[in-house]
Amino acid sequence: MTPMIDVVFQLIIFFIVTITMTENRNEDIRLERSIHGLEIKSDENSSPLTLVIEVDRKGRVSIRNVAMSHAQLAGIIDHRHRKYNVFPIMIRADYRTKHVHVKNVMDICTGLGIGRVSFVAVKDPRTPESKARWSN
Amino acid sequence: MARKKKDRNKGDEVKLEMTPMIDVVFQLLIFFIVTLKQEDILSQLEVLRPAPDTNTTPETQIEPITILVGRTGFVYRGRPVTESELNSSIARVAKYNTNAMVMVKCTLDSDHRWLVKALDICSRNNMTKLSVFSM
Repeated sequence: MTPMIDVVFQLIIFFIVTITMTENRNEDIRLERSIHGLEIKSDENSSPLTLVIEVDRKGRVSIRNVAMSHAQLAGIIDHRHRKYNVFPIMIRADYRTKHVHVKNVMDICTGLGIGRVSFVAVKDPRTPESKARWSN
Repeated sequence: MARKKKDRNKGDEVKLEMTPMIDVVFQLLIFFIVTLKQEDILSQLEVLRPAPDTNTTPETQIEPITILVGRTGFVYRGRPVTESELNSSIARVAKYNTNAMVMVKCTLDSDHRWLVKALDICSRNNMTKLSVFSM
């Protein structure tokens, strides 16, 4: 019985760990490549206040993979702006999305007094999917 | 009496059960193999964004460089240019002045990738004062 109990415990641990590790970003977004952009360091070095706004191919806006309207986004940014004054905003937009969708997000930011935003891109492709995209 | 007890203990051999340990090790191995996921290294391109109602050119002592980003690519100084041509043009400017303001003007129907490419070219040439306009 002992090995079976071991296996069961391992499986339980596995599920507990993977539940907390679920992706909290929109995985459908494909980024453009930017070799010369400033590298985004690991979480320990980046500001915990950083707000990553996702814009998918069809222009849908989300934060941590939670879709929201422009009004909701404005509310979140406004709340943060009042609380922290200055905080970094990163726009993680799909390379196929039209500029108008990115513009809408930037307009919300600037409308609330935040005139500095960053765009997220791929500096060094590591996933098989990204490697395949830029292999040619 | 004491001698008897000692003899009994001597007869008990401690046997280390290896099977559960091997099971655990295999499970851990499988866990790490399955969860091992390479992540792309990301970069950021910082830009200034003028307020929505601002259509005026920012006041600088140096004439800003304007890159138009359209649906199919870039337009620089009134003519469509390729990525490498744009890079050469920006490199020529950057040779003398990397503090010049670069205005990237995007049409609403242009793909986001062209904007990122334009900003990447600017970063490549150490142009740091970048602003994005929409038209």
